Amino acid sequence: MTAEPLTTRSLVTGAHEDFVAKPAGRRHKRWVGRLILNLALTLGALTMVVPFIWMIATSLKSPAELAEFPPTFLPKVWEWSNYPEALQAAPFASYFRNSFIISASHTVITLVFASMAGYSLARVRFRGRELVFLGFVAMLMIPTYTKIVPQFLLVKFMPLFGGNDILGQGGSGWLNTWWALIIPGGLSATAIFLFRQFYLSLPTELAEAARIDGLSEFRIFSRIYTPLIKPAIATVALLTFQESWNNFLWPLLVTTRDDLRVIQVGLAVFQQLDGTQWQYLMAGTTMATIPMVLLFLFCQKYFIQGFTNAGIK
Amino acid sequence: MTIWTTRHRRRRAARVGTAILTATALGIALGACSSPAAEDDTDPNAISGDLTMLTPIFEGTAGQKLLEEELLPQFTAMYPDVTVSVDYTNYARLNEKLTTGVVSGLVPDVMMMGVGWIEAFADRGVLANLSDGGLTAESLEETMTPEIVDAGLWNGDVYGVPIMLDARFGVARMDILREAGYDHPPQTWDELVEMADTLTERDANGKLTRTGFDMLTIEPRQMFETALFSNGGELFSDDNESPAFDSPAGVEALQRIVDLFHQEKVEDTGFSAPNATVNPLINGRAAMAIAHNNVWTQAEAADPEVLDDLEPFLIPGDAPSMFVGGTMAAVSATSAHERAAQKLVEFLASPGPALAANQQRGNVPALTALLDSEYVQDDRLVQFAMENLSVAKREGGPPKWLGLRGDVAPAIENAILRKKTAKAALTDLAATFQKKLDR
Amino acid sequence: MTALRTPDVPRTLDPHQPPRAATRRSGPRRAARKTGLFGWLMVAPAVFHIGLWTAIPVLATIALSFTDYDIFDAPAWIGVENYVEIFQDPVFGQATWNTLVYTFWTVPASMAIAMVIAVALNQNLRLRTWFRTAFFLPQVTATVAIAMVWLWIFNPQQGLLNGVLAVVGIPGQAWLADPEWALPSVILVGAWQGIGIKMLIYIAALQNVDPSLYEAAAVDGAGPIRKFFAITVPMLKPATFFVLIISIIGAFQVFDQIYVLTDGGPANSTTMMTYEVYRSAFQNFEMGMASAQSVLLFLMLLVMTIIGRRATKGDEG
Repeated sequence: MTAEPLTTRSLVTGAHEDFVAKPAGRRHKRWVGRLILNLALTLGALTMVVPFIWMIATSLKSPAELAEFPPTFLPKVWEWSNYPEALQAAPFASYFRNSFIISASHTVITLVFASMAGYSLARVRFRGRELVFLGFVAMLMIPTYTKIVPQFLLVKFMPLFGGNDILGQGGSGWLNTWWALIIPGGLSATAIFLFRQFYLSLPTELAEAARIDGLSEFRIFSRIYTPLIKPAIATVALLTFQESWNNFLWPLLVTTRDDLRVIQVGLAVFQQLDGTQWQYLMAGTTMATIPMVLLFLFCQKYFIQGFTNAGIK
Repeated sequence: MTIWTTRHRRRRAARVGTAILTATALGIALGACSSPAAEDDTDPNAISGDLTMLTPIFEGTAGQKLLEEELLPQFTAMYPDVTVSVDYTNYARLNEKLTTGVVSGLVPDVMMMGVGWIEAFADRGVLANLSDGGLTAESLEETMTPEIVDAGLWNGDVYGVPIMLDARFGVARMDILREAGYDHPPQTWDELVEMADTLTERDANGKLTRTGFDMLTIEPRQMFETALFSNGGELFSDDNESPAFDSPAGVEALQRIVDLFHQEKVEDTGFSAPNATVNPLINGRAAMAIAHNNVWTQAEAADPEVLDDLEPFLIPGDAPSMFVGGTMAAVSATSAHERAAQKLVEFLASPGPALAANQQRGNVPALTALLDSEYVQDDRLVQFAMENLSVAKREGGPPKWLGLRGDVAPAIENAILRKKTAKAALTDLAATFQKKLDR
Repeated sequence: MTALRTPDVPRTLDPHQPPRAATRRSGPRRAARKTGLFGWLMVAPAVFHIGLWTAIPVLATIALSFTDYDIFDAPAWIGVENYVEIFQDPVFGQATWNTLVYTFWTVPASMAIAMVIAVALNQNLRLRTWFRTAFFLPQVTATVAIAMVWLWIFNPQQGLLNGVLAVVGIPGQAWLADPEWALPSVILVGAWQGIGIKMLIYIAALQNVDPSLYEAAAVDGAGPIRKFFAITVPMLKPATFFVLIISIIGAFQVFDQIYVLTDGGPANSTTMMTYEVYRSAFQNFEMGMASAQSVLLFLMLLVMTIIGRRATKGDEG
């Protein structure tokens, strides 16, 4: 540790060996503990995963097999053709692209502005800070279904867009545009709140030392603190992406053009009022879930970069 | 198994294919025999405008293809100055689309909605009076039964035109019935009770393995309405000012259902549900049921062998009848191109497009003449529904119906679960209705 | 405003650091004003966005709650009539009770489970990536498809749950069709689905806990359980506050599961406040009533949040 140059970053990194050598007598106990832990986790994980296995199994069954009683767990005949057939039911390629654009935009907007706001609420003293924070939390408390009509009206009467005049009259505003799909859902109070809690858990000494090093306030935020909360960034990114990926009602409401619709709208095709095509719905949902699982596995690597090495280059 | 699967697929693919073919053929025929100029004295070129249309049907690639590549080109061929842009939704989210449309003043020129909705939207001035454009109840009754036409009327004028219907009636598995020595579906309620009792099977532990009469796979409200209508009951008084389902006929209808659960024990709550993966009729877990006409389509996909044994029947009672819902097409009162919009509604309700739309979804055409079409003749349940349109009854009546209907299911469930007596459940529900109607 | 700090990290290791007082003396007022401006600039985009897209709709909701608004005609002022009616409505009373029961059972239970799992998965286990993925899976899949799977699990005749119970010798239930069991069943699904996100936040928060604390505790001879309560739980306090508030809000707004699994039934035994809001707004077209119901939901959440903040003794340590 003494060999390391003394920078503001080294303050938090300290010097830790991941595993301190244990006395030999404890090894056996530890091994048993690990086994029990692994068994318990496996059992828990199975409980979480069984519904998904069943979903995938269903996606590979024929309607005839779905009708069988008692139901089979694994398909007798694996109907892989359910997948291409499900894809034919709606223009999934363009839906997929739209969902991706919207989710990615939401994620970027959220990461930039929510981290700024969260940092400010956690680490910068300014008048009215507590009020702003409580306001953000309060904004989470009105259910979606009551907000959706006023939000729709804001979109429709957006001044100077879509043929609207300065008072928002005369046209259709942001309806049927990417603006409506990307901007209103771009930032959530939840993300700001999460960022704030994470910045709060970091030591204040870092900033003090950095100021002495002559860093500007913004650079303290962007260069010192933000790299330390990579796990939080990954969490917010994942949750934001996932939420917009699964969003259905808002894109359906603010668009009328099929070329602006999203993947969840495509999946709704399989659920008709009096009878759902389960095998296609399950195949479609499985396909819609895969990008999320991949994203999760990608974000994983930020979860294992903890405090111990976040600052070490 | 695999053979059936492939066969069903081919059948399905074939059906969509035929839907498009039929549409094209009928469209040509329609265009030939009734050129728009001959139909009325307006110059077709005067009918113009960019129309918007909101539809919960024609969804998915297949529906979109049918509508945009087959049907609409026929329409625009007749009216070259009209363009149509379509906004697809599904029934589950139709309310939200209509609500935001109405609130923001962006009501689509043409919109489709369910039976029981027209009253509310017409009453509040959202819909255009199509009788002003020449569609009258009398003219519609030339091609449809009065009860169906009635679903689109408000104050005697036409506001909505039926395109497709969904019917609920009794369906029996004749193979199971024959095994038990019955050669026909029940004709009286007593017979239904007796048969249901015999046909019910439980294992050694008393666990239900087959219900004699399934009442749980359709929505409780629609199940009750089917029983209510068949027993001679009505939902509302003639003037639509007060509820009428708490009449002796209504209470009796509900009591009979409750008794089937608790006296004869032909079904246990939880045995099936409206969102069940498969209708118990199809896999033999029900011998008879109150069912939707699309059991046929579902059986066609899951097990075409049972198709021959699916036998429809009217739920017996004082006035055997069936319950119909459906999809109506209507025009916005604020439409800038009301005449063009009305023409589009008339076009979609005309034989060719209506048959194609019904065929695509496996539903019941509203036009009586389509009974003879090949599609209807091939689907025994749809055929049965069409043959019995004269005894069809529908939901709705008062403009507040949409705000009332959600209260029905909990009341019926209360009775079935014996938390309330049938009479108390209906009396309390009627009181709630009356309060809301008087507000 | 005391942040969680790592007690054994020295304030600064830089021997050349001038005394702190020196920096402060050079104009504290101006510095404060400067940081104040900086703070506002940082938070401004978010304030603007949330203000426009959430605060305005929220204010509109509050205003509409005092009107009779059926979407067709302009809203008409009726004072507190909507509220009076809500208090006389047994169904909304039932919905409120169900919501409270749902929140009571889902929030603390799944928070505790999630924290334990997060700590377990923060160990250097070989399979931890797979475990984490497994526990997070319920979070990433759209509710509708997963709800269908639960419908099958709960099916009295052919469902997994009764099958498993039969093996252990416990009699099965009609679960979703039985008014006694429908709410517990929905709670089970809610807890199951909520664990993933809570676990993830805890895992992320655990990365900010300095391992040297554990080492110091180990030197003192503390066992894993003492370490958990003496270090992990206190260090996770900001995260716990967040998870608690978000979970309470989420539980109060449960909608999708109800919509797909039970439709509020049987006999209103699983209807929730948001479900009634939805029914008022989009089935009955009573926007004024829906707004009043939302305001009550808002007020209840506000009270819960204040209690929650007390329970975690503030969020700031």
